[in-house]
Amino acid sequence: MFQSKKVGVNMNSHDRGGNGMSCVQGDSGLVLTTDPKPRLRWTVELHDRFVDAVAQLGGPDKATPKTIMRVMGVKGLTLYHLKSHLQKFRLGKQPHKEFNDHSSKDGEIRGLDLQRNTASSSGIMGRSMNDCNVHFTDAIRMQMEVQRRFHEQLEVQRHLQLRIEAQGKYMQTILEKACQTLAADHHNNMPSASASGGSYNKLNQGQGRVADINLGSTSMKDFGHHELNFPSLQDLNIYGGGDQQQLNMDRSSPSPVVDHHQHSHGGSFNIPLNNSESHVMGVKKRPNPYGSGKNPTSLMMWSDDLRLQDLGTSSTSQDHHHHHHHDSDHPAANSMSEIYETKPNLSGDHATETSTTASDLNNKLERPSPRRAPLLSAHDHRVKNPLVVMHTAGANPMPQARNSPFR
Amino acid sequence: MDMVVDDVLTELEFSGYSTTSTTTTTVTTDDEYGCTWNDWSPVVDWDELSGPHDDFHDLIELMIDDNSTAAYHHHVGNAEAAEEDAPEMGVAAAEDSKGLRLVHLLMAAAEALTGATKSRELARVILVRLKELVSPHDGTNMERLAAHFTEGLQGLLEGAGGGHNKHMLGTGSHHHHHHHDDHHQTDVIAAFQLLQDMSPYVKFGHFTANQAILEAVTHDRRVHIVDYDIMEGIQWASLMQALVSRKDGPPAPHLRITAVSRGGSGRRFIGTVQETGRRLTAFAASIGQPFSFHQCKLDSDETFRPSALKLVRGEALVFNCMLHLPHFNYRAPESVASFLCGAKALNSRLVTLVEEEVGPTGDGGFMGQFMDSLHHYSAVYDSLEAGFPMQGRARALVERVFLGPRIFGALARIYLARGDEERHSWGEWLAVSGFRPLSVSFANHCQAKLLLGLFNDGYRVEELANNRLVLGWKSRRLLSASIWTSPDCDFFN
Repeated sequence: MFQSKKVGVNMNSHDRGGNGMSCVQGDSGLVLTTDPKPRLRWTVELHDRFVDAVAQLGGPDKATPKTIMRVMGVKGLTLYHLKSHLQKFRLGKQPHKEFNDHSSKDGEIRGLDLQRNTASSSGIMGRSMNDCNVHFTDAIRMQMEVQRRFHEQLEVQRHLQLRIEAQGKYMQTILEKACQTLAADHHNNMPSASASGGSYNKLNQGQGRVADINLGSTSMKDFGHHELNFPSLQDLNIYGGGDQQQLNMDRSSPSPVVDHHQHSHGGSFNIPLNNSESHVMGVKKRPNPYGSGKNPTSLMMWSDDLRLQDLGTSSTSQDHHHHHHHDSDHPAANSMSEIYETKPNLSGDHATETSTTASDLNNKLERPSPRRAPLLSAHDHRVKNPLVVMHTAGANPMPQARNSPFR
Repeated sequence: MDMVVDDVLTELEFSGYSTTSTTTTTVTTDDEYGCTWNDWSPVVDWDELSGPHDDFHDLIELMIDDNSTAAYHHHVGNAEAAEEDAPEMGVAAAEDSKGLRLVHLLMAAAEALTGATKSRELARVILVRLKELVSPHDGTNMERLAAHFTEGLQGLLEGAGGGHNKHMLGTGSHHHHHHHDDHHQTDVIAAFQLLQDMSPYVKFGHFTANQAILEAVTHDRRVHIVDYDIMEGIQWASLMQALVSRKDGPPAPHLRITAVSRGGSGRRFIGTVQETGRRLTAFAASIGQPFSFHQCKLDSDETFRPSALKLVRGEALVFNCMLHLPHFNYRAPESVASFLCGAKALNSRLVTLVEEEVGPTGDGGFMGQFMDSLHHYSAVYDSLEAGFPMQGRARALVERVFLGPRIFGALARIYLARGDEERHSWGEWLAVSGFRPLSVSFANHCQAKLLLGLFNDGYRVEELANNRLVLGWKSRRLLSASIWTSPDCDFFN
């Protein structure tokens, strides 16, 4: 009977297994362990009192550790104990109840099931329950601990993923605003800037959510924002000079660029962040929280473009013939393209192979557009080099960045 | 602080503008001044400085010339001939030796500015030579790093004469701008995006702090965060996401953020604090997070006044203090201190602090801290290069936009504080002021490890002193994220 209690309670206690665990009863009626880190053992009685207190307070969501402590009135019980127990309680309310309700035998069986599921050492399974209950429960406890840690790590991983993504989304709003500001500025300067040639088509290059920023006012409407031209984007050139058609501004990938490259090169990730892939490549599966189906500026999807361009979208080919631009003038843009063209040397192994692929790609595309235009100094540029230049196919959109801030 | 500056000024004016004759008379061998100059830079033979002014250039050449170690010639021709031997060396060796030369030159310049054998003229000459050798855009890591340090020293040199140093501290990037074209906004945005993608520095600090905040407010319905330097607010995006989706505790607690804003010409990152507020509000709305945004102005001398905060009963108060990349400027110590004191006064439940990890500087004074700073930033440069060896220009952009100003500010700060007692980290300050450390949870540590795993192997995270996670590159510690609670706050008992 005692053993079954142990089993039942262990499922929910936060004892950290260990050898030589024994229990002492304190004065307050609390059961504390004697291993090096004294931990509170949530016996059935204690737990029942806890449940009562919680019920009195209106349920696990309403109850707080402080109030529970007051209601229970158990000496020696600290906020820390209650906090974590309450948390567990909220999370695992149902399973725990089951343990309590069942008889001892079932409790042991449950433990067995769990153990089976967690692929534990098979040796334990073979032992008879009657003989080795003590070892059995210890083993289960340890197993639970390991499993708990493992699950916690998975949780952390998942959360990390979501958080990185959230940051990415936020970055995008920054980029959007910046685009708009620049566009507004430019709009004031260059009222005649037309929409046609420079417009980015909304090519869905199989990325799911690839979105383009269109230069023309019409396309801007689609974009859902306003009817500004974005000539500055040319200069901003996150998307490169001539290839406006290809300049798909995909949603900024929230994960680091390394994800992207890893993905495309077969990945050498340490962490199996499976989700990352799906959202690296243009976040295929995620809905756009901003409502519009298009996501502006992505500084991230360069190589994507390159690769896809490689696949031979016709409009690209012609554009690729111009602009052998001097990288030196536009370090920012080139930096951007650089970083996304070659795989970052994460593990140190892949540098060579990827650089060749990248350079092949580059050669093929004849120094594709991302390299071309300068990332900034939009204003100076635009005054000198009207959009017209950009729109004419075949023309070098990014002439001399004389006033490039990079010099 | 003002007093110090004045002293510095007087000191420099009298010693700096020296004619050659003065220079020669003041310069002697190490024995007389007890100067350890030669320990720092063995290639310079200070005895040679007794010549006329022109010889400075010869001396510089000698310093450049790495090959002739023993024989010092006075003829430029000899120096040049010796330099021609350089190409015969292997490229790597040549680069290393060039790197070494650069370091020596930097050290020489630093020493010339502040050492016992102070000479602004010499410093100026060395810096001129340095500028010829390096560029912030191309070259090796060392070269680009040296370029930024050169600018920093140049700023000190010029500022030293005109009392700009304090100005540099607060608005370092502004001063910086006098030399370079203004950082265009899109430059900054691009560099910021790159910085986040190429390195874990930004995310490490933000995520560690956010995780600590989340854990501290699990059962709260109202959370109030006071942010010392909100910049464009990206830290809070991931916190909001986590709050919205948290499973335990009251769902979707109300989040209030008060951003500390500075009047005057503080460097604007991408926009004003108001814009940041709007952006955060919009983001919060988009994910369904109840949110409100406030500002709290600092005094003209950047002192934080707790009374300027609007508080609500029953809210969990958190003070967030980010002092690392990508924040540009070094904040005046008094300002930071006033902010942290405010946390104590208001009994803030949590204080999250992320700062640069300082190396043990001992009694190195300016030179020691200068070298430490050099090591620090060279580790940062290395970390970027290791991850992205092919993307030199991207890195150069990040370095130019973020690291350059920080180096500039670091040097100004070290310069101003030289002669003071050993500088402390803000973590130490908090400990001494009575704040209690809170231990870093398993989840937080795990998250940091996972995050670093997304980047290069060379990054590592250590848990120190129970309440700190330190991000390092190889063997050099770079960033420290620590969690504290106010001395009188009883939440964590």
